[in-house]
Amino acid sequence: MAAHAKKAQQFARQLFKMSLADGAVSAERVAGVLAYVGKHRPANPVMVLKAYHRLVAADLARGQAVVEHAGSLNDAALAAIAAAMTGRYGRKVAAVARQNDALLAGLRIRVGDDTYESSVAGQLATLAASV
Amino acid sequence: MLSSLLIFAQVAVPAAEAAAAHGEAATGITKITQDFGISVPNILAQILSFSLVAFLLWKFAFKPVLATLDERQQKIASGLQYAEEMKAKLEAAQQESAVIIKRAQVEATKIVDEARKSAKDFLDRQTQESVAKANDILVKAQQAIELEHRKMLADARTEIARLVVATTQRVLARELSEADRTRYNDAAARELTSV
Repeated sequence: MAAHAKKAQQFARQLFKMSLADGAVSAERVAGVLAYVGKHRPANPVMVLKAYHRLVAADLARGQAVVEHAGSLNDAALAAIAAAMTGRYGRKVAAVARQNDALLAGLRIRVGDDTYESSVAGQLATLAASV
Repeated sequence: MLSSLLIFAQVAVPAAEAAAAHGEAATGITKITQDFGISVPNILAQILSFSLVAFLLWKFAFKPVLATLDERQQKIASGLQYAEEMKAKLEAAQQESAVIIKRAQVEATKIVDEARKSAKDFLDRQTQESVAKANDILVKAQQAIELEHRKMLADARTEIARLVVATTQRVLARELSEADRTRYNDAAARELTSV
């Protein structure tokens, strides 16, 4: 079972590499990879597709900055955040706004596994943790 | 003895008759012998008969009786000697038993003393262990109380902080205006992009 999972992971990585165009996941290439997988079913197709989905999702998350905010956020600030993240990570990062009233006020930015936060809720949580 | 008297009577009767026959002719020792009727043949016969009777008595009466007496005397002597020996043995046995009893008493006293000492040591040891256990339990109880106290304080502090934060969140959620939020968001955006 472990050997099958390892082989599926390796095959998924190969498929993921085939899905990249200029260092980023391309929708066309992903469609082509899926068509290939549908035509030539590998061993353990479900396991392979799950691993492939996880890799693609992680790469998309690395190229996407989810900006949670409470209250309104203007487009200029969103563009500034995208530009700052692109410069920081050295790859194109798109900023996506998402309303989150639990923050009370402020922003929380998620890029892949990284989180940047400057919000009232975060400061209150820090205050509660430090007491 | 009876036969001797009969013989004496037989000798006395002819002597009296002879004295009467001779009358005044007897004088001195002759007269005395005549008066007492002493006759040499009779005397010899009496001695012979007496010796014979004495020998027979000695042989068949006195000797067995003496032998019996000697035997009884020896038995009595041996019995007395045996009694003396038994008495000596009894005294020796009593002395030996007294020595054994004394030794046993000494050993018993020693054993009792050792038992008392062991019991005292055991009691002291148990007492010390009990005191140590009690102290240990006391220390652990104090530590547990201290820990519980600290935990209670920490829980109370956490709960108070949670209540303060929750209250602040509610107040801010109600009191913050849209303009305040926008202004805060712009400041946050500047802060995050400048890092």
